[in-house]
Amino acid sequence: MQQLKLKINGKQYHLLVEDHEMLSHVIREKAGLTGTKVGCGQGSCGACTVLLNDKAVLSCITPAMRCDNAEITTIEALATEGKLHKLQEKFVEKGAVQCGFCTPGMVMTALSLAPSLHETGEIGQLMARIKEGLSGNLCRCTGYKKIIEAVAEYVVESSGKGLQHADPNPSRLSDNGAVGVRRPYIEAEKKVKGLAEYADDIISKNALHCKFLRSTYAHALIEEIDIRDALNFPGVHYIATGKELPVKFGVLPISQDETAMAVDKVRYIGEIVAAVAADSEEAAVEASKLIRVRYKPIREFLSIEESLNDAGEDEKIHDYGKFNNNIHKKAELRFGDQQAGLREADFTVKKSFWFDGVNHGFTEPHAATASWDENGLTIVTATQVPHYLHRALAKVMEVPLNRVRVIKPYLGGGFGGKSDPFPHEIIVSHLARKTGRTVRVCLSREEVFLTNHGRHPSKMTVELGISKDGLMQALDADIAIDGGAYGSFGVVTSYYNGVLLQAPYRLNNFGFRTYRVYTNKPQCGAMRGHGAVNSRFAVESLLDDLAHQINMDPCELRMKNFLDSNTLTVGQYRITSNGSRESLEKVMELSGWKNRIGKMEKGRGLGVACGFFISGSALPIIWNELPQSVVHLKLDFDGRVLVTSGSSDIGQGSDTMLAIIVSEVLGIGMDKIFVLAADTLLTPVDFGSYSSRVTFMAGNAAKDAAQNLRTEIISALTKKYNTDPDELNFSGNRVFSNDKTLDLSWPEVVDNLTANRGAVCVSGKYISPKLGGDFKGAGAGLSPSYSFGACIAEVEVDTETGYVKVTNIWGAHDCGKALNPLAVEGQLEGSWHMGTGQAISEQMTYHKGLLMNNNFLEYKIPTSLDTPDIHASIIETIDPEGPFGAKEAGEGAIHPVIPAIANAVFNAVGVRITRLPIRAEDILEQMKDPGKAGDKR
Amino acid sequence: MIPTNTYIRATSVEQAISMAQAHQGAFRYLAGGTDALVNKFQGNDEASVLIDISGIAALKQIVTGDSLLVIGSMVCLDDLEKHPVISGRIPALVEAAQSVASPTIRKTATLGGNLLCENRCTFYNQSAWWREAAGHCLKCHGTVCLATGGSKNCFSKFVSDTAVVLISLDAHIEVSGATGTTIIPLGSIYTGDGINPRQVSETAVIRSVHVQVGGNPKTIYKKLRKRESIDFTSLSTAVTLQDSGRIRIVMGGVHAKPVVVDGSAADNMNDLINLAVTTSRMVDNDTYSRAYRKEIISVFLERSFRELKLIHD
Repeated sequence: MQQLKLKINGKQYHLLVEDHEMLSHVIREKAGLTGTKVGCGQGSCGACTVLLNDKAVLSCITPAMRCDNAEITTIEALATEGKLHKLQEKFVEKGAVQCGFCTPGMVMTALSLAPSLHETGEIGQLMARIKEGLSGNLCRCTGYKKIIEAVAEYVVESSGKGLQHADPNPSRLSDNGAVGVRRPYIEAEKKVKGLAEYADDIISKNALHCKFLRSTYAHALIEEIDIRDALNFPGVHYIATGKELPVKFGVLPISQDETAMAVDKVRYIGEIVAAVAADSEEAAVEASKLIRVRYKPIREFLSIEESLNDAGEDEKIHDYGKFNNNIHKKAELRFGDQQAGLREADFTVKKSFWFDGVNHGFTEPHAATASWDENGLTIVTATQVPHYLHRALAKVMEVPLNRVRVIKPYLGGGFGGKSDPFPHEIIVSHLARKTGRTVRVCLSREEVFLTNHGRHPSKMTVELGISKDGLMQALDADIAIDGGAYGSFGVVTSYYNGVLLQAPYRLNNFGFRTYRVYTNKPQCGAMRGHGAVNSRFAVESLLDDLAHQINMDPCELRMKNFLDSNTLTVGQYRITSNGSRESLEKVMELSGWKNRIGKMEKGRGLGVACGFFISGSALPIIWNELPQSVVHLKLDFDGRVLVTSGSSDIGQGSDTMLAIIVSEVLGIGMDKIFVLAADTLLTPVDFGSYSSRVTFMAGNAAKDAAQNLRTEIISALTKKYNTDPDELNFSGNRVFSNDKTLDLSWPEVVDNLTANRGAVCVSGKYISPKLGGDFKGAGAGLSPSYSFGACIAEVEVDTETGYVKVTNIWGAHDCGKALNPLAVEGQLEGSWHMGTGQAISEQMTYHKGLLMNNNFLEYKIPTSLDTPDIHASIIETIDPEGPFGAKEAGEGAIHPVIPAIANAVFNAVGVRITRLPIRAEDILEQMKDPGKAGDKR
Repeated sequence: MIPTNTYIRATSVEQAISMAQAHQGAFRYLAGGTDALVNKFQGNDEASVLIDISGIAALKQIVTGDSLLVIGSMVCLDDLEKHPVISGRIPALVEAAQSVASPTIRKTATLGGNLLCENRCTFYNQSAWWREAAGHCLKCHGTVCLATGGSKNCFSKFVSDTAVVLISLDAHIEVSGATGTTIIPLGSIYTGDGINPRQVSETAVIRSVHVQVGGNPKTIYKKLRKRESIDFTSLSTAVTLQDSGRIRIVMGGVHAKPVVVDGSAADNMNDLINLAVTTSRMVDNDTYSRAYRKEIISVFLERSFRELKLIHD
């Protein structure tokens, strides 16, 4: 220990620090300035960037003692007297803040970069230098576009030159709540100031720290766990092992196959075997090293092929199941006559594809804090699904549902990776109960990767037939996905890989067979675009191939086959609004497709693809008769409407969406609305943020609630003023009759409503209509509405190295109605960034079941320099059942972008991509020997 | 007990060396620390004493003459670009420095630190838990190389971006140790042994790098990596052509040490390329396959020769 003297944000500190303590730890834990985030702990993500004597440094790899007598500036210092710094203002205004976890580091990096940019004259050059300057800061939400724009505007304006470019989409920061206004998130200021508290930022008094001992074997019986030495380690309070928490859980009722810690055997390298609660992180780490586990290895199943084969009875990964192998789920559906369809097709193509697993890569690691009191358990945790976690905790803790409270604070990105109940959440709850203390845990980035739940490694063979005039005749898919050690959402994933191929094209003869296998690897689950991203890639690649064969423009081929609006698919999905055509037309126009396709030099190419996705599942995961979403509104004497909803804002802007809808219905400004969400004690149930359901379902519930409040107001006013209820208007913070004989301000309205009654509480709900066929499997992929979209990608392929540079993405997405166009663009740009990653650089690689690339250095999320220029177009089709016509925008957009990139590679160099990520070496090999398909595994 | 650690901030080279002598076997010099600290977090470096030399003012100077540039070892990578003489005379060094990691890291990482950057391997740059699960490799006191599945040699990669350029320029380093100060060729400190890749006395400090620019050298630098930022090199090449016609090719990421091929403008360039390819000693311990990296050596060298007008289309 040494004494460290330093100034942080102008305030002098004298602190006792460990000799090898890092600056980030001192800032967060000792100075209590939690605006500085730690995303990777290894200097690879930039979230922890602060200024050290005005120079940007990564505080997670800066020794605190190096900063003796230094001045540190953190994000908290930028706003003065509550007023945002100009750069922060730009971040807010441009929509550069989504989940907000990378934001503080991004702002600090940009701030230190800005002075060197003032001399940069031309706007394109300025943007390029900003891209370069921010290329050490990973953002998983925005695709960097709005961040770069924010910094550019700040630089231009602060150098006094004024804007050189007219902004095509000026941000209208209107006070009036209204649908369709470009609007920053309601919490954007808090996030950009570093004041929004994420799960690991909420400092609890005297909390114990939890660390895990994880399995070093992929598949082994646990013969003995000896915790005696570890228990004697100073500062240790409790060590838990698997037998204490034997109750199984899982997000799906049909896959309750996971325990909080391994009980009798471990099923993957990285599975939690024991958990230590200690006074400090260091003590917990050191003690966990003293736990001795004796394993007896059993046969490992590490690939799809191995798991399809027979296993000895004691070798199966899970002992349930009818078959003597490790198949978790088999599903098959057939519609029409595929054999006849393929026979009669003029052209057919059949190819096999391989997809490596990919991970969500959200910047905020999982973190949770649990405590017990007279009200039972309270857990504050980074979750997309407070409701399912609530149920899982009650089940495993063996307490009534009313003894559990789950609170989701601000959340640093999810993308499906925080949509299961997790072992660490259950374990800290257990440790808190055993010790009577608050217990906190924050996973390292390595642990986040081991927790996984990412997109399944998949292999599939897909066959597609078309007529000579380009009409699709038959589609058949044979799919196998590698689920890893546990079920998670896997049964749904299995179905989605197949069923979500029945649109956006008309298909009469369609079928698939799908398998999900267990393997001894970290489990897979739901990730943005759940289930259908890989199979969509296959179909869009084959379509491109057939277009090439019949010498038809691939856009034209798609146009010929699109489903219409208001129709049924072959599997009885009800298609209502459908903007496929408009989307494709838009990207063709913006990319200059017709003038450019086929006329580009070798090495450059354009590619197109389309897609669609559900706006929430029509059926609940857990069969019950609760509405899918309930929203409560409370209006009291002060005129503020409190919106309470169980839905989880995970950075996608759903809290803002709820406020916009209530604002629109009641005609009052956003300042009169307060959203309280995702606290299972205070907020009514919403099933969570997954399957792109929140805008459609929670949005409709909010609209229903607001209409109910409107009805209450109308009833109060008509009773008192004897006016015609149909003649009352709600607008501009007033309620008035058509002839303005009655014209009340909002406070007057509120006085009328609350007179002799007090606060008024109303409820709204959303229940999906009954949909779909009556065959087994008919429920998979049913949704009250579907989004549609198209992408065109432009690539440059280095014909000597095979290196693929994605230069442009033109994307259009039919989201029904953009309630908040700024937020919708953000979702689209983020989707196309993430898809670019899966296309060109992201993959999870294993060595004998051990994840090789469990950090942000080796798991290659595209940096700002690797992300193409993204051109987003919003297509509005006004869905008949969506709130104000809205449907999903968060996931569907990822589907078309990946095959569009691959098809562009084909256009550039004639190489058909059948394996993701695209590998430079496969391209080189196939350019030399076009007949040779890439290594498919 | 929780192990006790020590952090010492040296203010002069002499002080650093005497502190190092006092903690021999248990210390690590810290320059920027952007690489060393991560190795420490992962348990690859167990030094309990960190002697931070990044603040020593004498090591941050840049002295430029007509034919000799002397660059202090603690000059930050980011500062090389800002120095007009360095960016004017040896732009390839700036290019290499700017290709290191990310812009923020380059504000902390130093030239000296980059020269001594620890060798890397997918089986080595992992946490202690991971390496236990994998079974320890040669570089982690194990008995076999995991990357090759059994070799008794360690193939950890030499990855310094700046050293590749500097060696191609035949740069020297000024090293101070307990016995005094010497000037030695930079290339001479790399052993080719993946486990102990550098032969500099444990307590010695590199004071500066000396680059002769009298021969009007032209250098072409190229780096292979998946992303355009953050990533370590999968292959880097530097080709320097002196006015005299002397050519020096240096490659990083292909061996436990920088691989040097000397030639002249009179040589057949294809022979030089073949020599470079056959001298490399790569295994599959990178995000790109061995075969691919090998193939790209030729592409990079051919392009470099073309840019130096040593071959023509």
